[in-house]
Amino acid sequence: MRVLVVEDEKKTASFVRKALQSEGFAVDACHNGDDALAAAKSTPFDVIVLDIMLPGRDGLSVLRQLRERRDATPILLLSARGEVNERVEGLNAGADDYLPKPFELAELVARVRALGRRGGDNKSPVLRVADLTLDTLTRRAQRGGAEIELTAREYRLLEFLMRSAGRLCGRMMILEKVWDYDFDPGTNLVDVYVRRLREKIDAGFEPKLLHTVRGAGYLLKAQP
Amino acid sequence: MTIRTRLTFWYAGVLTVSLLIIGLGTYREIDEQLRHAHRRAPAEHAIYETSDMVFQGGLPAVALGLLGGWWLTRKALAPVSKLTEAITRVHERNLREPLPRTGSGDEFDRLTEVFNAMLARLDDSFNRVREFSLHASHELKTPLTVLCGETETALRDESLSPAERERFVSQLDELHRLARIVDGLTLLARADAGQVELKLEPVGLDELVRDNFADAQILADPQHIRVELDGCEPLTVRGDRHRLRQLLLNLADNAVKYNQPQGHVTMGLRRADGAAEFTIANTGTGISPESLPRVFDRFYRGDPAHSHAVDGCGLGLSIARWIVLAHQGTIRIGSGPSKLTTVTVRLPLDTK
Repeated sequence: MRVLVVEDEKKTASFVRKALQSEGFAVDACHNGDDALAAAKSTPFDVIVLDIMLPGRDGLSVLRQLRERRDATPILLLSARGEVNERVEGLNAGADDYLPKPFELAELVARVRALGRRGGDNKSPVLRVADLTLDTLTRRAQRGGAEIELTAREYRLLEFLMRSAGRLCGRMMILEKVWDYDFDPGTNLVDVYVRRLREKIDAGFEPKLLHTVRGAGYLLKAQP
Repeated sequence: MTIRTRLTFWYAGVLTVSLLIIGLGTYREIDEQLRHAHRRAPAEHAIYETSDMVFQGGLPAVALGLLGGWWLTRKALAPVSKLTEAITRVHERNLREPLPRTGSGDEFDRLTEVFNAMLARLDDSFNRVREFSLHASHELKTPLTVLCGETETALRDESLSPAERERFVSQLDELHRLARIVDGLTLLARADAGQVELKLEPVGLDELVRDNFADAQILADPQHIRVELDGCEPLTVRGDRHRLRQLLLNLADNAVKYNQPQGHVTMGLRRADGAAEFTIANTGTGISPESLPRVFDRFYRGDPAHSHAVDGCGLGLSIARWIVLAHQGTIRIGSGPSKLTTVTVRLPLDTK
C-alpha cells in the first residue's frame, strides 16, 4: 500500500513516515498543499494523511480540490485544533476520517490501515477468529461451541474488534466506533470494558485472543 | 442616608434660615414705618403683621420650595440610579456591551463615557488572556504530538530491555495525561471565547442516563463499588447530545474516583419544578465546607491529602459546569454529614 503524508511539521512527518514504513507501507511525504496536489496527480495513493494546518493552501482546500477532480483516495485528516465543527466540516468536504493532535501513533497506523482496506471487508454475517464466532444477524457469540452472554455494549465492542481482527485498535478509535464519543472522556472506560470482555471470551480457553499492546491499544488475533 | 434625603434636609434648612432672615427684615421695616406713621404705635402691631406675612406667605412658599427641591434632586440624581442599575448588570461576559448614554454631554453622560472606555479596556485585557490560553493550548499540541510519536516509535524497538520499556511506557502514560489536560484547556479556552457551538436538538435524557448508568457500573466494578439507578423518568431536553453524554460521564467518573472501596453511587433522573433534575451521589471522604464553593474551579483539588491519590486532569467538573451553563441549566454540589456527596444538575425541559 502506498501512503502520502502531508505534514509541514518536519518531526511529526518523520515519525509518521517511519511508523508507517515499519508497518510495511510505501510512504511519500510532502510539506505543503500544492506539492500534495501535484503528488496526488502523478501517483495513485491508497491513503492520504493530510494535516489541516499547512502553510499556503490548507488541508481542507487540498481536500476539496482533490474531490473536485473526482479523486476518491481515502483521506485521513489531522488537526491540532481538534474542534468538533472542523471535524464535521472535514467529513462533509469528503474526508474519510479525522484524528485530532496529539494522536497516538498506533491509532494513526490503525486508521490508515482501516482506510486502505475499505471496501474489501468481509461481507459474511458470521465473523470468526480461531474458535470464536460472532453471528451479526442473531447477535450470538460462541467460543468452542459454548454460548457467551454479552451486553449490548460488549457486543458492539466485540463486533468492532472482530471486524478489525489482526489489526491494532487504538483507544480513541474504539471510543469513536463503539461509544460514538468524539471526545476523549479521560476515563479508563475502554480498558475496563476490554477487561470484562476478555474474561468472557478468553477465560478458560486457549489460545488467548484479546491482547493488550501497552501504550497503544488492543488487538484481537489467534496467534500471540 | 441617601444623597437625595440629605440634599432635601439641607434645602429645608436653607429655606428656613432665609425665611427667618426675611421675617426679621420685614419686621424691622414694618416697625420703622409704623413708628413714622403713628409715632407711638405699640410694638405688637409689627410682630402681628410680620408673623401674618411669614405664616401666610412664607411657610407655603417654603413647603412649595421643599417639594420642588425633592423633585429637582430626584431629577438630578436619576442618571445616577440608572447608571447604578446598568453597572449592576456588567459581567465578565458582557463587557463588550457599553452602558447606554443620554448624549446630553452633561457630567453624567461624561461619566458614562469614561466608564464605557474603562469597560472596553477591561474587555481587551480579558480577551488577551483568553487568546493567550487559546494559543497556548494550540501551541502545546505540536510538541506534544512529536513527544508522543517519538516515545511510541522508541517503544517499537524490539531490543529494549523490560526496564527501558517500562520507563517509556510510564513516560507515554504521563504524556497522554498531559494531552488530556491540554485538550480540556483548549475546550474551556474556546468556550470562554464563545467559540464552541452546541448542536441543539431534542435529546431523551433518560436514555443517556441509562447508558451512563451502564458505563458507571463498569467503571465502578474494579473497586467493588455498587452503582444504583434510583428512578429514571422519560424526560426530553433541548441540548447537544455529545456534550450531555460528556457531562454525565464526567460526573459518573468523579463519583467513582472519589469513592471508597465497597462504597456506592446512586444516580437518578426526575422532573422537579418544571426542569429535568439529574442527581448523582457517592460515598467517600466528603468535601469540606470551605472547599465546596471551589470544586468547579479549574485544577482545584481540595485538600492536598487525597489530591495525588486520584489520577485525572483536574478539569472534569469545570467542563461539567460549562456544559450545564451552556444549556441554561444549573449545577450544585453538596456534601452532607454522612459523607455523602451529591451533585444536582437541572436542565430546562424541551417545550417543543
